[in-house]
Amino acid sequence: MDIFHDNPLFSGVRQMLGAFAKQQMRPIAMKHDTEESMPWDLMRSAQALGMTQSAMQDGRKKLTGVEDDPDPKKPRTMARLGVAASEELAWGCAGIALALGGSGLAASPVSRMGNDEQKAEFKKLLSGNDEHGRIRVAAMALSEPGTGSDISGLKTSARRDGDHHWIIRGSKQWITNGQSASVFVVWAQTEPDAGRAGVRGFIVGRGTPGLVPGKKETKLGIRASETAQVHFEDVRVHGDMMLGVGGESAGLADTKKMLDSTRPMVGAQATGIARAAYEFLLDRVRGGSLHGTPMASHQHIMFELADMAMEIHAARLMAHKAAWMADHHIENVMESSMAKAYGARVAQAVTNRAMVLLGEEALEPGHPVEKWYRDAKIYDIFEGTGQIQRRIIAKQLTGQNPT
Amino acid sequence: MDGKLDDEQEMIVQTVRRFADRDLRGWGAEADRSGAAPDRLTAAASELGFFLDAVPASADGLLEGDYAHVTRALRGYELGRGCAALAALLETNVEPALAVGAWGTSAAKQQVFGALASGGLATFGHDSRGALEVTESGGELRITGKVGPLPALGVASHLVLAVRDALVVISLDGVRREAIVPSGWRAAKWGIAHLDGQRVPAELVLARDAAAVTEVLSWARVSLAARAAGVATAALDHAEAYARERVQFGHPIGQFEALIRLRDDAMTSAIAARVFALHAAWAIDARRPEAADLASRARVLAGDAVAKATVDAVQIYGGYGFVTDFPVEKLMRDARAFEALHGDERLGRILAAKGAK
Repeated sequence: MDIFHDNPLFSGVRQMLGAFAKQQMRPIAMKHDTEESMPWDLMRSAQALGMTQSAMQDGRKKLTGVEDDPDPKKPRTMARLGVAASEELAWGCAGIALALGGSGLAASPVSRMGNDEQKAEFKKLLSGNDEHGRIRVAAMALSEPGTGSDISGLKTSARRDGDHHWIIRGSKQWITNGQSASVFVVWAQTEPDAGRAGVRGFIVGRGTPGLVPGKKETKLGIRASETAQVHFEDVRVHGDMMLGVGGESAGLADTKKMLDSTRPMVGAQATGIARAAYEFLLDRVRGGSLHGTPMASHQHIMFELADMAMEIHAARLMAHKAAWMADHHIENVMESSMAKAYGARVAQAVTNRAMVLLGEEALEPGHPVEKWYRDAKIYDIFEGTGQIQRRIIAKQLTGQNPT
Repeated sequence: MDGKLDDEQEMIVQTVRRFADRDLRGWGAEADRSGAAPDRLTAAASELGFFLDAVPASADGLLEGDYAHVTRALRGYELGRGCAALAALLETNVEPALAVGAWGTSAAKQQVFGALASGGLATFGHDSRGALEVTESGGELRITGKVGPLPALGVASHLVLAVRDALVVISLDGVRREAIVPSGWRAAKWGIAHLDGQRVPAELVLARDAAAVTEVLSWARVSLAARAAGVATAALDHAEAYARERVQFGHPIGQFEALIRLRDDAMTSAIAARVFALHAAWAIDARRPEAADLASRARVLAGDAVAKATVDAVQIYGGYGFVTDFPVEKLMRDARAFEALHGDERLGRILAAKGAK
């Protein structure tokens, strides 16, 4: 296993994105949290730098100066770069990091399952500016009001309309970029009794009749990332825009594979939040005093910081290991879930204890540690709750799902 | 000890529970959105005897005889089930009024009771980290530094401040203050005060006695613990109802062992927090020597319990727990002040055990 600190590629990405996070994200993080607004200007400059995941396909080279070997047997670096980048950006602001990455959620199934025509259409729908003069963003529309953890029970349906079209009906919930997206990848059941096997993704442009963005949610955290309902009221889509037809990749099974590859990055984001809170506390402790004694002379405080440092270190290694496996084409279902669940646990625990140790100070409006405490909670919920991750891990252990 | 309430306590609990269920929950949600308490709170609460319950009847208040901290803890638990922010406002006058009643000069009583009787608010603060500068000359103190954030400090007329071994009244008239709306207890009229050589005349120095400081802190700790137990219980009640309704993988999620366990452990802590708060309150009322220690320990437990219960309630709600349309994310924000106010309780205990002031 490589020691990623010594690898110039990974440390270079960390340095570059760490600087970006510090200079570009931190100064605007609280504003977008308070206003619950998307950082459109930063999203534009990040896109130009090749830093959004939607630009990952052609932007990776721009970001790192190297391209992965196209030989599928050779090790890649993409997954490890992904976790390094995720941690640094979430250290800046998890909400903004998710806003920068939101389009990537939708781009990923297109790049994995889409044919050339679909990729071209997706790219076309994302080019130029939208009606507000903003960069265009994409939305992955999978979750539904009744379908959070259990994605096999999707209610949104797609039924045939003539030889070439499908009619999509249903409502989607908790959709990142749901209100602003110019293009949606919506998942619908194409065969009423087929369960997961019948679920397909469709590329749908925003202006398509019947596609109605719904209410934008106000949230506990990650408030710079837009979350909204999206309604599909008999939306007519050409069959050419159904992902995965005729290829090996199709439907939800592939989506689940995709989630295996994103979970280490999600765990790394959570680790980034934990590190932010830990570093803030460490900085306070270095200069601070308690009743005239240096804060750093107190075991009560320093052992907590030691625990935090230990947990963050472990979480980071877990995400890196899971990504290393992906880069080496080794199945990492269990390690991905472990990295995600542990990262979420550490983010919650570290931000919680940092708030306690800071005391009344952390109650002040706009205190960053309080924001990170709120941001951290979603990491135990989205992309598979902590319970779902343990279910996946447990199934790897015994082959069966515990209830 | 049979834990049976007397008739008056029973009546108070029933009345406050109705008030919490019928009014505070609804008002609290709106107050959280707007960051302001509803105007009707004052009238409704005054009718129920809040604000003046710790002011002696002889000074136009409602207190006759000794103040009952058990009754206050019973009431605080119910208020916490309603809304933490509004509960903080309803309880804010108690420590200042009791402290002035116990140790105040006639001038202090006249000033503070007069303000409270005419509808004013007071608040209590503690310099838990020794951050304030205090100088003394001829019985008069001068205090410099930042006080807060504290609930009600944005609008209060008086602050009772515990600093080192001194318990003082500060008239906030003319003191530079910021009114703030933090993330939790948003409607609690929070404020930060900046004292710049603030003069405290001898007549407003209530006590120069660490025991007095500890006693007031004990009242505050027990009240915080009782309210925290109420917030924890509310979060878990919401989560239980939701888990009964929400179906995933063909079962109500409340049937999954992991979620049963999650809620069950949090409920054990919430119940323990309530019982411990009542026990500490009883010790205060009975003037037991261990009362202060119990009050502090009760708050350690309650602080942990409310943080855990609210986070776990959000977890049980899943994606719905994270959005403001459902009640539990507010409770997760509200949980923090119970641990933070008047200082990190564990840190305080450690410093006390080491003999630091």
